[in-house]
Amino acid sequence: MIRYVVKRLLFAIPTLLAVLTIVFVIVRIVPGDPAQTILGDQASQEALENLRRRLGVDKPIAVQYIDFMQGALLGNWGESMVTGRPVLTEVWAVLPHTVDLTVAAILLGALIGVPLGTWSALHRNAPIDYATRIVSLLGLSFPAFVSGILLLLAFAIELRWFPVISAGKLDNPVDRVRNLVLPAINLGIIMAAYVTRVTRSSMLEVLGEDYIRTARAKGVPNRAVVWRHSLRNALIPVVTVVGLYLGILIGNSVLTEIVFNRPGLGKLIVSALNQRDYTMLQGLMVVYAFLIVVVNLVTDLTYGFIDPRVKHG
Amino acid sequence: MTTAVKAGAASTSDTPGPILRVESLTTSFRSGGAWHPAVRDVSFDLARHETLALVGESGCGKSMTALSIMGLVPKPAGRIAGGHIWFEGEDLTQLDDEAMRRIRGDRISMIFQEPMTSLNPVLTVGFQVAEALFYHRGMSGREADRMALDLLEQVKIPSARRRFADYPHQFSGGMRQRVMIAIALACRPQVLLADEPTTALDVTIQAEVLALLAELKTAYGMSMVFITHNLGVVAAIADRVAVMYAGEIVEIATVRELFRRPTHPYTELLMRSIPRVDRNIAELETIQGQVPSISAMPPGCRFAPRCPLREPRCEAAPPPLAGRSGHHVRCVVRAGA
Repeated sequence: MIRYVVKRLLFAIPTLLAVLTIVFVIVRIVPGDPAQTILGDQASQEALENLRRRLGVDKPIAVQYIDFMQGALLGNWGESMVTGRPVLTEVWAVLPHTVDLTVAAILLGALIGVPLGTWSALHRNAPIDYATRIVSLLGLSFPAFVSGILLLLAFAIELRWFPVISAGKLDNPVDRVRNLVLPAINLGIIMAAYVTRVTRSSMLEVLGEDYIRTARAKGVPNRAVVWRHSLRNALIPVVTVVGLYLGILIGNSVLTEIVFNRPGLGKLIVSALNQRDYTMLQGLMVVYAFLIVVVNLVTDLTYGFIDPRVKHG
Repeated sequence: MTTAVKAGAASTSDTPGPILRVESLTTSFRSGGAWHPAVRDVSFDLARHETLALVGESGCGKSMTALSIMGLVPKPAGRIAGGHIWFEGEDLTQLDDEAMRRIRGDRISMIFQEPMTSLNPVLTVGFQVAEALFYHRGMSGREADRMALDLLEQVKIPSARRRFADYPHQFSGGMRQRVMIAIALACRPQVLLADEPTTALDVTIQAEVLALLAELKTAYGMSMVFITHNLGVVAAIADRVAVMYAGEIVEIATVRELFRRPTHPYTELLMRSIPRVDRNIAELETIQGQVPSISAMPPGCRFAPRCPLREPRCEAAPPPLAGRSGHHVRCVVRAGA
């Protein structure tokens, strides 16, 4: 197992370097002069050259690449063009909010989705199965901004259980949780719907496997057939899907963050886009890339825990 | 038909009764809104310490017969539609799920055809063997592990102690089938149902596994139903043979009798389609036509459409399984001969 973990960690390094290179290329490949874009048509020649020097885009491309990679790896991502504060500081300030939200949504999704999907599979084509399938389809197709507003209306405005604006400070754990509940439910519903459907189909497939027949043939009680013999096998595709979805989730938290007025990476990237904050965008792309690599690494390590064929392979 | 079975039973009445008696078993599957029998009116006795071979081509109902005995007919698509399965004075078809579960893997066990997919990939081999002991014998983890290790040694897994905590993917096909045998034998069952246990294995491994099964059957004093489509294996391992065709037993006899005087036209053709080293391969015969589909069975003899001896009366009504001195045939043309 330790060998497997080390191997996965080592594999993550070239992936990360490749991703950073792609970010570098994408930023350079965009047509037009970044300085011109930032300062606009009316800018003087002198101002443009000053900005180019500040951005480092006046240097040869190879030097830019080395500077960029060095900066990215050492955490020197330059300053925001808008606030003038270091990009890393800005990111660091909102990252805990995003991590809170994402982790809470994943937990909700798994805790609701796995039992519900299993239950549905065990009662295939019974009314409860149809109900679960319809509800999960609704959960998937309901737009996050609509469900978010409905949640706010019900629980924040009518019942006043939770704050309307989920900004709040991080150092007060009670506030932190209170601010998290509604946004987490909003994202968690989608996640739960997704996990339910994948668990159901994966469970149905596993229940038809030869080794389940073997378990029944040796007189294993139904309960143990489901929990010990089936679920662990059924979870392998679920982990894949959650891993893939987690990447999307980090990106898709934007809507939830806007509806609930909650700080986070998603909100940061939207404002950076609106304000043409070139350095901030570049920094955020690196952060997203890094998060996705981490998510994949965690997914791979989870496989190792679930499926013995992975760590020996 | 009923009289034939009773006659067969009466002839062995001086010995203790059969351990397993299947009586007019019919197992049906739902297809297109109607139930169709995949196993129809199957009856046989399994004497203590006996090996009965069930022979027939794929889809003839031999595996479904074994699954019916195990109470493992896939629901809700299939069900036991009629008949009785008597085991030690109990009718297995009347037991509820929990009572049946307690018998499965304890007093009646089953080995399956496909060793590569029949073991759970995420559980250790040792655990999978110990599990039956845990549920049926109420053993503690350590006791069950010790016993499971002993079983793995009995089925001749090399360095069993070292491999106890290994996973199935670390074992070869032959070794996995040995593990399956260890699982099936864990609780010393009285009846072992072996469903083509060697079909998926290499020929040399087949012989080893067959020898192991025969050896353990004697050592454990078990009775065995051995399902195969390989008549060569039948000759090696079985005492009696039941030949199945399209869900029915068409002929049942001792191995010696069946090989000397195959009576049903299907049995005869089956024998002639075995390749033999002492004959030219060009002479190998095939049986013309195809097995009728489950939803389109002929009203009379199910083999009639493919039978070289077909007569008008064959297609009138289903022929009974009839005969004397333990050799029964389901054929109106040959029965009198």
